[in-house]
Amino acid sequence: MDMNKIVLIDDDEDSLNNLSLSLKSEGYDVIAVTSGKEGLDAVERASPSIVLTDLNMPEMGGIDVLKRVKISNTDAEVIVMTGHGDMEAAVKALRYGASDFINKPVSDEVLKLALKRAKEKLVTRERFRAYTSDLENMCHMAIGEVKRKSDFQDKLITSSNDGIVATDENGRIIIFNPEAEAIFGIPRIDVVRKLDFRQLFPPQIADVFGRMFSAGRRMGDVDWQDVMIPRKDGDDVPARFYCTLLFDGEETIGSVGFFQDLREIRRLQQELVKSERLAAIGQTVARLAHYIKNILAGLKGATYVVNIGLDKNDIDKLKTGWQMVERNVGRISYLVADLLAYSKEREPEFRNCFPNDIAEDVCELLDGMAMENRIKVERDFDPSIKDVSMDPDMAHRILLNLVSNAVDACIFDLDETKRHKVSVGTHRENDNIIRFSVLDNGTGMSEEVKNKIFSAFFSTKGGRGTGLGLLVVQKLVQEQKGSIEIVSELGKGSTFIVRLPYKQVE
Amino acid sequence: MSKRVLAVDDDPDIIMFVKTVLEEYGYIPLIAMNGETGLSITRGEKPDLIILDVLMPKQSGIRMYRELKGDEALKNIPVIILSGIARRTFLRSQEALTEFGDQPIPEPEVYMEKPVEPAELAEVIANLIG
Repeated sequence: MDMNKIVLIDDDEDSLNNLSLSLKSEGYDVIAVTSGKEGLDAVERASPSIVLTDLNMPEMGGIDVLKRVKISNTDAEVIVMTGHGDMEAAVKALRYGASDFINKPVSDEVLKLALKRAKEKLVTRERFRAYTSDLENMCHMAIGEVKRKSDFQDKLITSSNDGIVATDENGRIIIFNPEAEAIFGIPRIDVVRKLDFRQLFPPQIADVFGRMFSAGRRMGDVDWQDVMIPRKDGDDVPARFYCTLLFDGEETIGSVGFFQDLREIRRLQQELVKSERLAAIGQTVARLAHYIKNILAGLKGATYVVNIGLDKNDIDKLKTGWQMVERNVGRISYLVADLLAYSKEREPEFRNCFPNDIAEDVCELLDGMAMENRIKVERDFDPSIKDVSMDPDMAHRILLNLVSNAVDACIFDLDETKRHKVSVGTHRENDNIIRFSVLDNGTGMSEEVKNKIFSAFFSTKGGRGTGLGLLVVQKLVQEQKGSIEIVSELGKGSTFIVRLPYKQVE
Repeated sequence: MSKRVLAVDDDPDIIMFVKTVLEEYGYIPLIAMNGETGLSITRGEKPDLIILDVLMPKQSGIRMYRELKGDEALKNIPVIILSGIARRTFLRSQEALTEFGDQPIPEPEVYMEKPVEPAELAEVIANLIG
């Protein structure tokens, strides 16, 4: 808009010329026309800052010009010129938005003043518009920012993996996200602004919220806790839950609870336990089958030898075959005994006995086999041990297993330079405990073997071991509330220490 | 003259079984209960065939097999491995020993997994030494 451009409208050509000259001499760029219609065209075309129009004109009067200019999209100020004393027309013009009116004939002073005021008005309005526009922009931006933040938080809450339940300061629920719907099994519309937390939560959780509200700031952090969320459909949901109060300064403005659905985790845990158990059973069965297969192979060999003996009437073959049968029957007996010992619960039967005698008996049982293989069985018994009350059968069984393992460890050892020996010891420890120790300098165990010795049917002895001996030892020791300790080094040997509690003889 | 076959196994049932099969089919059985004895009998008697177990006390079958195949005087004696462990386990442990710097050795002539039928064992022996 050109501040110096004026459209001048007057049907009186003399007046028009006079005013035009006078304005031009003031430095204005004047478009002078003689009718309202031409005036409006000029306004449309030239965007003047000021329109100066006569009121009384034929065809289109000044009021009409004024109205049209005001509804057009120009910002031009309109000054009207009235005949002398035509106050009514002047007031009407002001009501329609004229910026000023001046009487005809127009004096230069009055015109100058009117133009000055109109220009000031224009400037003010321009500034005001700029301010308004700035303000609008800022307002728009601020609203946009707030909306973005709120949308972001909305989305965050909506898409959270945690169920989120928030209340106002009175405990009425105001946020209930989709995950909360899934956990509680209630649609949002039945909850938000309709229920109080006391109505929604089971007593265990409602109680925590209640205490939190009454404690306010003094309540410390609540730990995550596992809860069961009852549902109307009966599918109760296990969940972890955590809650906290929301404050604005010192004032409580609400609370929020977070709920983690544990159903999937629980299902996976159960599946894991199940699959581990199945794997363990599978492995156990496979090893048992392998061991029985070995025995079966022995028996098949035996029937072959017996059949040959029968065919040929060869009594020696028959004897040999029969020995094979007996040996394998023995192996099955041991296996069954071990299996039973392993699977049966057995309370220890405390009786008076001499631990050193038990150890001596075991040593004597294995002396023969050890001697055959050039292995020395040493005794290192604590003479201070008198008669005690413990389960002698179990102690015997434990020691027999350990000492025969120790002898085997020497038999299987490839190191010819060693003088193989097994040392069996007893020792009385404090708090009514006898310590039995079985030491050998045989093969020793690798870490891998050490990790497997207590698993069912694991054996390093080929067909000779049931793979149950140490498992039975472990179980018997546990049943007597004792402990077992193993030190072993590959190539050097192993030491097994078993501590068994005893009672004083009555 | 009958061929002589050495059976090396720590399991007396297997020894009795193999011994009976050998006698039935007209071979002369030699017997060792561990690798150490097995090796000394092999050196002394030079059998025509060796039937060898893998898992044994005193020098396992794995070691004895390497000794046999690494010895110029013995390496042409055919060997049947008769074992409770799978063939690939045996081969893997041989590879492991080779990797640790021992000489690589040929695979056994025959590998049989226990249990084995008498006729099957006799056939394999006949194929090797007639």
